Amino acid sequence: MSAEAMQHDASIPNPKKWLLIGATGLLISMVGFFVDTRMAAFSYLIGLLFITSISVGMLFLVLIHHIMDASWSVVVRRQAENFLSAMPYLGILFIPVFLLTYLSGNQGVLWIWMDPTEPLHGHGTVGEDILWVKKQWWLTESFFWIRALIAFGTWILFARAFRKHSIAQDADGSPSHTFASRKLAAGGLFAVALTWTMAGFDWIMSLEYHWFSTMFGVWFFTNAMRAALAVLILASIFLVSKGPLKGIFNNKHLHDLATLSFAFTVFWGYISFSQYFLIWNANIPEETFWYNLREQGLWWEVSMLLIFGHFLFPFLYLLQFPLKVNHKSMIFIAIWILTMQLVDIFFNVLPSLKDSHGEPVQLFSSPVNLIWYAAGIVGAGGVLLWAYWTSYRKNRIIPIRDPRIVESLNHNF
Amino acid sequence: MAKKCGLIAKFDSPADIMNAARKVREAGFKQWDVVTPFPVHGLDPAMGLKRSLVPRFTIIGGITGITTGMLMIAFTGASDLDLGILSEGYKLIVGGKPFFSPHFAFPVAYELTILFSAFASIIGMFILNKLPMHYHPVLKYDDIAQGTDDKFFLCIEKDDPQFDLEKTRAFIQGLKPTDISELED
Repeated sequence: MSAEAMQHDASIPNPKKWLLIGATGLLISMVGFFVDTRMAAFSYLIGLLFITSISVGMLFLVLIHHIMDASWSVVVRRQAENFLSAMPYLGILFIPVFLLTYLSGNQGVLWIWMDPTEPLHGHGTVGEDILWVKKQWWLTESFFWIRALIAFGTWILFARAFRKHSIAQDADGSPSHTFASRKLAAGGLFAVALTWTMAGFDWIMSLEYHWFSTMFGVWFFTNAMRAALAVLILASIFLVSKGPLKGIFNNKHLHDLATLSFAFTVFWGYISFSQYFLIWNANIPEETFWYNLREQGLWWEVSMLLIFGHFLFPFLYLLQFPLKVNHKSMIFIAIWILTMQLVDIFFNVLPSLKDSHGEPVQLFSSPVNLIWYAAGIVGAGGVLLWAYWTSYRKNRIIPIRDPRIVESLNHNF
Repeated sequence: MAKKCGLIAKFDSPADIMNAARKVREAGFKQWDVVTPFPVHGLDPAMGLKRSLVPRFTIIGGITGITTGMLMIAFTGASDLDLGILSEGYKLIVGGKPFFSPHFAFPVAYELTILFSAFASIIGMFILNKLPMHYHPVLKYDDIAQGTDDKFFLCIEKDDPQFDLEKTRAFIQGLKPTDISELED
């Protein structure tokens, strides 16, 4: 592979630097576990969910690429595959969540239903709560961890399989890898969609185990797609600006990624509104309390920010053709969407953490919290970028011997 | 009675028609068109065509749709207007909900946004393409059927301010077409 040494010039970041940044973040999170266990644990979970959603979103993109036998996306697929290399490490990053539950002295540190003695504000304990008793067949600890294992196992296996085929094809040029990937994608779409829905139900929805929404898995999927597309746009534009993808990744590829981003912006609005609308219309206390909690204090402003910032603004922005074929404007909106996706995760996760009065914790209740928030995101994010740049250095910049690579290179206006 | 409608030239390959289109645009002609059996990539920029104006119609349709939907639900649910049919409007409390809220007007407004955008797009496309057009002078040209098979045509209309039968014919001859004819109205 020394032949492509030229693509690894000094302008490409050193992966080790990112590992160092990630390790620093994880270390600070670790300190947080001792200082403010619950807040640090929630921040860690938020960071991990945010970064995992990017990675699983990339897996969805690769799955869709293969199942559709798409040609245009061949030149961007390798970057998505590079991000997939982070999957096993994200699985490892989930282990602290498990350890925290059993070593922090409070089993309900994250998911309060894990501790049946946890007092519910105002009435009894979790163990006496009929809603938990009825849901106990699903919300048991052993089953919960097995599901997490199945979820990460599925993502890791599919990520590895797609990477293996794609990289092997660079060497032998056999179209059999393309056919094998397509077959894998057919089963993979079901497996990954199911496990990702399960992950959303388990890791976010069960934080507030009284509440339920059938839209939740789709919401989680949409956010993963939006985050992955935003990161893919940023990575591609970065590689064009540094040279490696220059003349390969053209404005039509960018326009197509932007159009997909637009589609998922609309889809996010559709799903989020439907979830809210059904609950608002049915008006059952068991469901409405979830939104009521999120209308308290600053969470009201956050929910407004999501409506206008996560939907309306990107919607109107991405409607416009000139903005979709311009590097600078796409960098801006990709960073914007990524930030809003993070806000959305905060909005869904953090209000489940209650203060001593049973009220949801506010976003900026203490300035120290910002450290834990940042540590969680930087920790998992550093690991993701380390894995990405490591994989980037080892492999070719595009799948050069993919049967559809010429079509993809000629894809233009 | 037959009056000259313009000149039509026949070409054999996409490369030739692309080259010809570029030269015609550079010569500054305005009223002209190209007939090809399939979409030729890059022909639009070669002809100097700008992006379609259909999206402008679509956005106007969309805004009209969402406004109509919201107003319709507000009118039927929360209005006191006396139209001579219902003396006191039609205000009913349903499920303890307010008379009007954008929440439940939204599905209707959303559907109307899509419907009106679709209508506006289609109507806009018809207007911009000057459709329906039941007759076009090129249809009288005997070889035009080949334009749906393997030949490429370029026609300059006589309405063009630069059009001059002899000069334009000489100009087109310079593009090396395989055939050149006058179109009759």
